[in-house]
Amino acid sequence: MSTALPVTGSRASQPSLAVKVSRNGRTGPVAANTVLAGTMMSLFGISWDIQWHVDVGPDTFFTLSHLMLYSGSAIAGLASLAMVLIATAAQRAGQSVDRFPGGKPVRVLGGVFRAPLGYLISGTGAALFLLFGLLDLWWHSLYGFDAVLDSPPHIGLLVSISFSMVGSVIVFAAARDTRWGRAGVILSIPVLIVFSPITTKAFGALPLPVDPELVGTILFSTLLLILGTLTIGRRTTALTIAATLGALQLVLWWFSPWAARVYADATGLPLRDNLGDDPPELPSGIPVFMLVAAAAGTALMWLSRRRGWSGRIAPQIMGAGGGAVIGLSFPVQSALFGDSGPTSAELLKMTAAGLVTGVLAGYLAARLAVLLRDHSTASVTSASVTNASVTNASATNASVTKGR
Amino acid sequence: MRDRVRRLVLAAAAAFALVTVSTAPAAAYAPVGVVHTERVQAGPYTVTVGFSEWPLRAMQSLDFTFAPADGIAGKSGRLTIDGPGLDAEDRETPLSRHPRKRDVWGLDVRALPEPGTWSFTFDIDGRAGHGRGTLRNVTVLDQPGPPLAISWTVCAIPPIGMLAYLAVGWRRNKPSERVAALV
Repeated sequence: MSTALPVTGSRASQPSLAVKVSRNGRTGPVAANTVLAGTMMSLFGISWDIQWHVDVGPDTFFTLSHLMLYSGSAIAGLASLAMVLIATAAQRAGQSVDRFPGGKPVRVLGGVFRAPLGYLISGTGAALFLLFGLLDLWWHSLYGFDAVLDSPPHIGLLVSISFSMVGSVIVFAAARDTRWGRAGVILSIPVLIVFSPITTKAFGALPLPVDPELVGTILFSTLLLILGTLTIGRRTTALTIAATLGALQLVLWWFSPWAARVYADATGLPLRDNLGDDPPELPSGIPVFMLVAAAAGTALMWLSRRRGWSGRIAPQIMGAGGGAVIGLSFPVQSALFGDSGPTSAELLKMTAAGLVTGVLAGYLAARLAVLLRDHSTASVTSASVTNASVTNASATNASVTKGR
Repeated sequence: MRDRVRRLVLAAAAAFALVTVSTAPAAAYAPVGVVHTERVQAGPYTVTVGFSEWPLRAMQSLDFTFAPADGIAGKSGRLTIDGPGLDAEDRETPLSRHPRKRDVWGLDVRALPEPGTWSFTFDIDGRAGHGRGTLRNVTVLDQPGPPLAISWTVCAIPPIGMLAYLAVGWRRNKPSERVAALV
């Protein structure tokens, strides 16, 4: 991952288009937000598609929800590819790309490309999505249409989209010294929290004492909550992420059944008989008590700072608190959504599962936050970093140090 | 240069239009094809069970149709499926119209998870009263395609690659050494 390539070329020559684009202060936020918009489209597309299968039924490859899901991945992939090409061209034109937006550039294929880490990962996710799309096409020729969500090619597809979402978190985290960077972290983390547990459906068939999808939700939501908090380093980050997740859940709750019904009307298809009043499929699986978990995590972080606990144990304590709240909340949540009331044994089991998973999530989150902070770059290239943004960056660092 | 860009855009638009037009017929919803039927006597009602694939294979997406001899009007009922590997919540459902064949009851894009012997029980209420009957000993063969272990291994390559990449980054950057100052 060395980034110390010698800068070659002449400064006197006319800067190329790639160099001009890379030096423009708007390139970073525009590209990052395009990737985020793509991943957000994929999220809304899959929630709509799942609800379509539940509420209406008939399926082809060319439904609008599929189009939304696939276009989202394509948009994220094309934006990432553009940024990799711009970084490569800028580096070849003799410009230092060490502070390129999107994370520190990584040498790809022996230095043929210089890919900012975030865009490398989001672009790889989009490319893998295409490959698994082909595998999925073959799978359907053997098995017929989407009978299950958790077929191997589907899981491959979903993991690929998750990679694009991970890439978007890295891209924004790299610009955490800017307002758009922090806003992007707070938006892109909830997208990943909603999406990533779907992939744990792959373990659904294993005879485990706790539903692996629930454990996946606890792990990813706790991990990402703490990761965002420690990466940005502000006291209110966890609460802001949780509030954003809640807002996203509300919008999906309204959007998914609405879109399924409107699309059914438009295509002249009736809704299924005996639908009942089940809550929307994907949104109802998002933890609804995340604000409580975030409050618990924030309180524990505050306590850690007051007591001077080391960063070696504090994240695990935060994780245990947050994870236990999320674990405990699942049986309560399903009772709220119409299932039978939880037994005390179930509450105890889920709290314990949350506690253990949360400790692991806290441990991983802290270390990943260190790596993400390492990859911090300014929102613009070194050529146009202003004194103001440098001062801003040092002020942020100072406030983080002060908070230790 | 501009001419070249314009030509490129035109060519891309033409290609897109061609693909859209040629794939339009595929966008239509497939009709429900019944290739095999079985009869079940549920009290006073005779139900013809239709399968879109025969013989049945595990994990294969199927359309089932359940057609009472004199139509579904004025009738209601429940279907109970029994077989290996079925989740409890998927065992019993109300008899609902097939979404692509509204004149009969049915299940669309449904897969039976494991090979073995399956049964379909119908509880039907109508003008002639209540009737119950079971279609027994429906044999479901092994799943088509390569063994699942191979398919899962192929699909596990990206996450394993990601973990390996992360492990390398972790070893090089040693985040554990700097985590103490994080909080």
